[in-house]
Amino acid sequence: MTTVLLLLLLAFGAYLVAVLEEWATSGRFRLAAPVLAGIALLGRESILPRKPDRIFFEVGPVLLLISAVLAAAVVPLTPDLIMTDLATGALFINAALVYVLVALLMAGWGPDGAYAMVGGWRFLGQLIAYSMLIVMPITAVAMRAESLFTTQIVVSQVQVWNILYQPLGFVLFFIASMALAFLPPFDLPTAKGELAGGVEAEYAGTRLAVFRLGRLALIITLAAATVIFYLGGWQGPWLPPWAWSAIKILAVTATMLLAGRMMPRIREAHLLAWCWKLGIPLALLNIFLVGVLVLVFP
Amino acid sequence: MTAQMFFIGFFGIAAIWFGIVVFRTFSMVRSALALLFSQTALGALFLSLQVEFLGVLQIMMMATEMSIMAIFMVMFMMDPGGLGEMDMTHQKRLSLGAGIVSFIAAVAVAVFVDWGPGVSVAPDAAQQTVDLGRELLGRSMLIFETAGITILTAMIAATAVAIQPGVNSISSHRQRPVPTNETLDSDMRRNDDTHKKMGGQANHEH
Repeated sequence: MTTVLLLLLLAFGAYLVAVLEEWATSGRFRLAAPVLAGIALLGRESILPRKPDRIFFEVGPVLLLISAVLAAAVVPLTPDLIMTDLATGALFINAALVYVLVALLMAGWGPDGAYAMVGGWRFLGQLIAYSMLIVMPITAVAMRAESLFTTQIVVSQVQVWNILYQPLGFVLFFIASMALAFLPPFDLPTAKGELAGGVEAEYAGTRLAVFRLGRLALIITLAAATVIFYLGGWQGPWLPPWAWSAIKILAVTATMLLAGRMMPRIREAHLLAWCWKLGIPLALLNIFLVGVLVLVFP
Repeated sequence: MTAQMFFIGFFGIAAIWFGIVVFRTFSMVRSALALLFSQTALGALFLSLQVEFLGVLQIMMMATEMSIMAIFMVMFMMDPGGLGEMDMTHQKRLSLGAGIVSFIAAVAVAVFVDWGPGVSVAPDAAQQTVDLGRELLGRSMLIFETAGITILTAMIAATAVAIQPGVNSISSHRQRPVPTNETLDSDMRRNDDTHKKMGGQANHEH
């Protein structure tokens, strides 16, 4: 029952992200737009490219959706509202999200199109840039909680939220999350304008609808992960826990969408250089600082 | 218990099947991703054996590693899509022999080693993570650190060998002179000359 409820909430969250995204990028606030766009996509012909790698082409969008849903499975919205509270929850989120890369590689290679392929391989480069900045801040978060249970991680922030306890980790994780969800300015694999949609370029109809749904679910899942790791999860005064989770997740999503709007698309080489030369040393410093803090203020 | 046995068997067979697929396809990307799904099935097998941390770790690590391997296979093979007539198998007898010997060795180790008394009830997942952490920071620390540093050294060395100094660096892009009309003209003249020469040669051959 909880699982069904959470899946419905995830779908509703994806819908809200779609509304927010349009609002952030075009300034128009239209509540019906995602539904209409969805119906239009489902009604359209699902065109098949001329010589596709059929398995990859079909599996890519579905795998993207599955990995987002699997990551959402270990995210608690209240102490009890969680699909499965794994003992390795914090690691599991990362394990599920790595398959976003595999999905985009498949979607890029599958249709046998130049733009799609470039987009797919670009995302592999992007992973090499952001993956360490996802894992290392999570390590520091788990160090403070002394647990990989996501519920324990939220409970560990009763006194001080992690955004204050380890602000450096939050900044790194937030940026890396945007890169993982290929949101602007990290939208290298889809890059409208230079790659004509990239990995999305050869998809149409139902398959494109699944791909876009997967992307929206991914964004909301990453925002939820940011909330439980850094913003105290369901904790807050006056309102019930679920309301705090909802408010925080939507606020993080809106910030992600707005932040990207203000910046030009980053170049792959620059992204890699900054992540490796600046990001990884800072992430290591964050682990060190948190280690000292945990020892001094247990 | 029956469900557990079913999943152990299912993921075991899936791992072997994807392992076979690696050699059945000529597409480098398919091959690499088949290996990935073979390893993912192994991760799922660990999960069915109630070894949660190792299972999740296996599922996580292999996705990155095999994807990176895919791009290297695409870069270095002449026919990465496997659409041409190229036969990419070689040293068949040697590999067959090596495969049989390794299989016999693995079975022999599994059968003849004294594994000690089995644990009737697996410790809970959180306890396993704690035990693994203590093991890695205790008795096995030297082995793991040595392996880690060896892999890191290999990665840095491979990158250093792969990069042509001054060509791939970001600064070289920045320092490239902006083409002016004069340089463009001379470039076009040079291309024109080359084209004439090549065209002449081609015509001669005909």
